[in-house]
Amino acid sequence: MLSFRTTSDKLLLVFFIASVAVTLVLILFPALHAIQLSFYQSESFVSARTWIGIGNYLRVLNEPGFWRAFLIGLNFSVLTIVLQVVLGIACALLLDQPFFGRPVIRGLAILPYLLPTVVVAVAFQWLLDGSLGLLTIWAERLGFGRPAWFEHPTMAMLIVVVASVWTWTPFVTISFLAALQTIPKSLHEAARVDGAGPWSRFWHVTIPMLVPMLTVIVLLRSIWMFNKFDIIWLMTKGGPLSATEHLPVLAYRRAFMQYDVGGGAAIATLSFAVLSLLIIVYFYFYPLDGKDGNQ
Amino acid sequence: MKQDDNNDLLTQDARLAQMPAPVRRRDVLKSVAAGLTLMSVGSPAVFAQPKTIRFLNAEPGRDSVRALRVAAAEYEKKFGVKVVIDTVPPDDAYNKLQSSIAAGAPYDVGTLAFAGHVLLLAQAGKLVPLTKLVKKNTWGPNILFPVNGENYWYPYDYNFCWMYYRKDLYQQKGLKVPTTWDQMAENCKALTEGGKFGVGHPVGGNAATQWMSIGYMWADGVRLLDNNFKLIADNAEMKPKMIAYLDFMKKMSPSMPPGMTQALFGTVLGQYSGGQIAHAPYAGRLIEVLEDKAPDLVAKTGFFMYPDSAGKGSAVNHGYDGWVVLNTPMQDESLKFMEWFIENHYINFLHSAPLHFQPPRMDVYDDIRWRAHPMVEKHADLVAFMKSMLTRKDIAIRSIDTEGPTVDLRPGKMFESFAICDAIQNVLYKGMPSAEAVDLMSAKYRAVLPAA
Repeated sequence: MLSFRTTSDKLLLVFFIASVAVTLVLILFPALHAIQLSFYQSESFVSARTWIGIGNYLRVLNEPGFWRAFLIGLNFSVLTIVLQVVLGIACALLLDQPFFGRPVIRGLAILPYLLPTVVVAVAFQWLLDGSLGLLTIWAERLGFGRPAWFEHPTMAMLIVVVASVWTWTPFVTISFLAALQTIPKSLHEAARVDGAGPWSRFWHVTIPMLVPMLTVIVLLRSIWMFNKFDIIWLMTKGGPLSATEHLPVLAYRRAFMQYDVGGGAAIATLSFAVLSLLIIVYFYFYPLDGKDGNQ
Repeated sequence: MKQDDNNDLLTQDARLAQMPAPVRRRDVLKSVAAGLTLMSVGSPAVFAQPKTIRFLNAEPGRDSVRALRVAAAEYEKKFGVKVVIDTVPPDDAYNKLQSSIAAGAPYDVGTLAFAGHVLLLAQAGKLVPLTKLVKKNTWGPNILFPVNGENYWYPYDYNFCWMYYRKDLYQQKGLKVPTTWDQMAENCKALTEGGKFGVGHPVGGNAATQWMSIGYMWADGVRLLDNNFKLIADNAEMKPKMIAYLDFMKKMSPSMPPGMTQALFGTVLGQYSGGQIAHAPYAGRLIEVLEDKAPDLVAKTGFFMYPDSAGKGSAVNHGYDGWVVLNTPMQDESLKFMEWFIENHYINFLHSAPLHFQPPRMDVYDDIRWRAHPMVEKHADLVAFMKSMLTRKDIAIRSIDTEGPTVDLRPGKMFESFAICDAIQNVLYKGMPSAEAVDLMSAKYRAVLPAA
């Protein structure tokens, strides 16, 4: 119980206020400003603004480009999250087994996550460069010719997904590895005594114990991947033919390149609203306290 | 009082003596008061600081930064006014300038590379007219972009884009400099063999594509907007020309290296200087790069303008850069600095990229100071070729962002939609008929053009 009479309680209050103030200044005010901008028509951040109410929203929602970008973002998020979770659990199970050099391998496993996104993007671009890329040259030597990696819309999307999965799977791995450590060994032993095989123990003991972590991971990765701007922008700029242009890229293009600050802000706000709605629905079905939303 | 109690008190005193003194509110107030007193005492020193002009440079080349810094240092020495040079990549300049204005700490001088940005800032009352300064000299065509009769920027270069080719390979294959699209395509085809390619044209959705790959279209007389800023790219006259251009690009595509959707400005420079392609679109920078990285290719490199389909016209793609003075409390000082800089260091600055910074001022071509640069001297034929673009009437100098009769934001919006890049990609990679690609492109352009 905090009384705010002791020095440590007062210190706690100071830090709390400081962190709230920083959050307000760095996150809330810009977010509110962006929402405010979405109700104006403006060609730049320095031009005169004209109040148009929900005009930007109506215009944006009537554009096929918005819905295409929404679906692209959804596809990208679902694909990357599924792959990250499946690979993350698989890697975590492997790293949970005792073997020689395990600490070193565990350290190496999180390396991709430590790399800055720009490094990952440039590395993948070099690997897949049409003329000098290592993978391009290998493909040619194997008789596949020089694949046009970034020319084909589906291929471009898959490359971005692969790069994203490669970069962020370690985070999932580490999270599940931590969760695996908390499963009591007695549960597995009891299951083994009852005649359960490895596969059965995985499905009936390990997975149920990982559900709370799975719930949190899917939630966090959904938010992060749906809003993921940097890797797509750095690798494809939303191309080819807008095949990788999801809502954050579309919003950026509108606001900073296409002289439509209000439209860009409206797209960003809608993206925020859609994500919030998805999270509410998600919490309804998978509440963090473990209760079933239907009950 | 018992002895024990006394001992306890003594030990308590000793403990208290060892503990750090608690910070009281009075102490804090005293410190604040002392700080404020010191600040007020020290304030005359603040007022005595030299005036500062903040200059946003968007030419990150080492020599360009050096030229600006040298000028800034000299100006400070002479006039006691400090000029701080901040350098950003060209693509970031406008947003950085915008942010500085929105944040309430605007730059005093900025660099821009897009007429639409000049217009936007001028219309928002953020720029100071430079008309008096501009009027002192004679300028080349299509560079001043006046807004309501005033000049709001001072151009420092043209960045036209034309074609370079390997003279030695032409000689080996017995080829002639192309004057038609068919000849160009045939030459490129003939030079595509053994992992080498005929030409490198970027085809991604980016500025590089719109600067390097559409010159053929301008040469053939394509116009996207009429004099009322109405889209005419798909009208009866222009649509066949657009279709022909896209068909030509399709014909050229087997002669291009793979991965050209990802190609940017530097990619093409690398491909040409590395001997991977026989033709490259670029401005004077390519020769500067060759002199630095592949000197053996300098003598083997020739140049020509984008040809048209029938051998009657030619074109270069427009490009330009310039400085603006912002409407800040330092505007008078900034104007003084700019006047001094242009008088004393303009040519020095141009020399930092002697062939790439093509002078937009006609007097510079005859200025012995500018001509004295060894690169300008050595490449006199290229310089003459560049200058001819400004004087010949049969050469089209065009770009998407400068379409229309006057400077306007609408062509800027068209440029940023990258619709023509989509058209090229649709034809090259999706196998879409060119006519359909033109229709899609036009629809995308209309979506960004405000309704009449």
